[in-house]
Amino acid sequence: MSVSGTTPSLISKLPARLTNFFARYPPQIYSSLARPEVPETAAAEATTPTAAGEESEGLPSPYTPNRDAKGHKPADPKAFSPSRALLYSDPKHPNPFLPKKNFRTGKWVSPRFGLRQQADLVKLAIRYNVEELLPPGRKSTEFKQTRREECGLRIKGTGIGQKVKGHKWERTMEARLEDRRKAMMEMPEMIRAWKQRGHGRGWKKWPKR
Amino acid sequence: MAKKAKSRTISVRLISMAMTGYYRTMIRPRLHRPLSMLKYDPVVKKKVLFLEATKGGRNK
Repeated sequence: MSVSGTTPSLISKLPARLTNFFARYPPQIYSSLARPEVPETAAAEATTPTAAGEESEGLPSPYTPNRDAKGHKPADPKAFSPSRALLYSDPKHPNPFLPKKNFRTGKWVSPRFGLRQQADLVKLAIRYNVEELLPPGRKSTEFKQTRREECGLRIKGTGIGQKVKGHKWERTMEARLEDRRKAMMEMPEMIRAWKQRGHGRGWKKWPKR
Repeated sequence: MAKKAKSRTISVRLISMAMTGYYRTMIRPRLHRPLSMLKYDPVVKKKVLFLEATKGGRNK
C-alpha cells in the first residue's frame, strides 16, 4: 500500500487523534513500512541454533535432564533478535514510540508517546485498518507476534536448548525403573533358589536396610 | 542401675526384592531366624520375594 496513494477520503474518515498523529509523524518517514529491511546476515545469525540447541536433540526422555544444566542463561540483551530489529528508529527522525539515548550525556529520553498512549493509538489504528502507517513500537501486532514466537510459552525449560534441573524423583526415575526391571527379570530364579534353600534357612544375602 | 530387659520380640522390615522400595513390617521373636516370604508387591503388581533387612546388626 503506497502511503502517498492514501486517498483523501480515507483521511477524512480517520478520527482526529490519528490524523493529528499522521500530520505530525508522516507515515512516509515514520511508519513501519518506511523501515529499512533487516540485513540478511544478521537475520541468519539469529536463526542459527546454538550449540546448546543441538545438544538437546539427543535427549532420550524427559526424565533424564542434563545434570550439568542449571537452568538456562538469560539471553544477551544486546544480541540481535527479530523482535528487537522491528523497533527501528531513524536517527534523523527519532521514532516517537521508542526511547532515545543521548550519547553525549549517556541519558535516556522517554518516548514521545508512552506505552498507554501507544496502545490507544494502535487500537484506534487497527479499527481503521491503518496500523502499518504507525511507527514501529512495542504495541504493534507485528512486534507482539514476533515476540511471542521468540519467547514461546515463557515456561522455563520449554524453549530450544533449555533444560530444568527437575525434581529428584524425575532425575532418578530412569535408573530406578532400570533397577526394577532387572530385579523382576531375576525374580523367578531368585524365588527358585529361595525355595531350594529351605525357604530362607540357608539364605546368606540379606538386604541392608 | 540395672539395664532394661530386652523385649522378647522385635519388629523387622521385610523389603521387596523387586527393588521398588516397598516393604512390610512384621514382628518376630528376637531369637528366630530372619523372615523371608513371598508377598504381593503393589508397585509391580506381582507376588515377589520379601527378605528381612538387616538393621545395624547381622542376621543369623
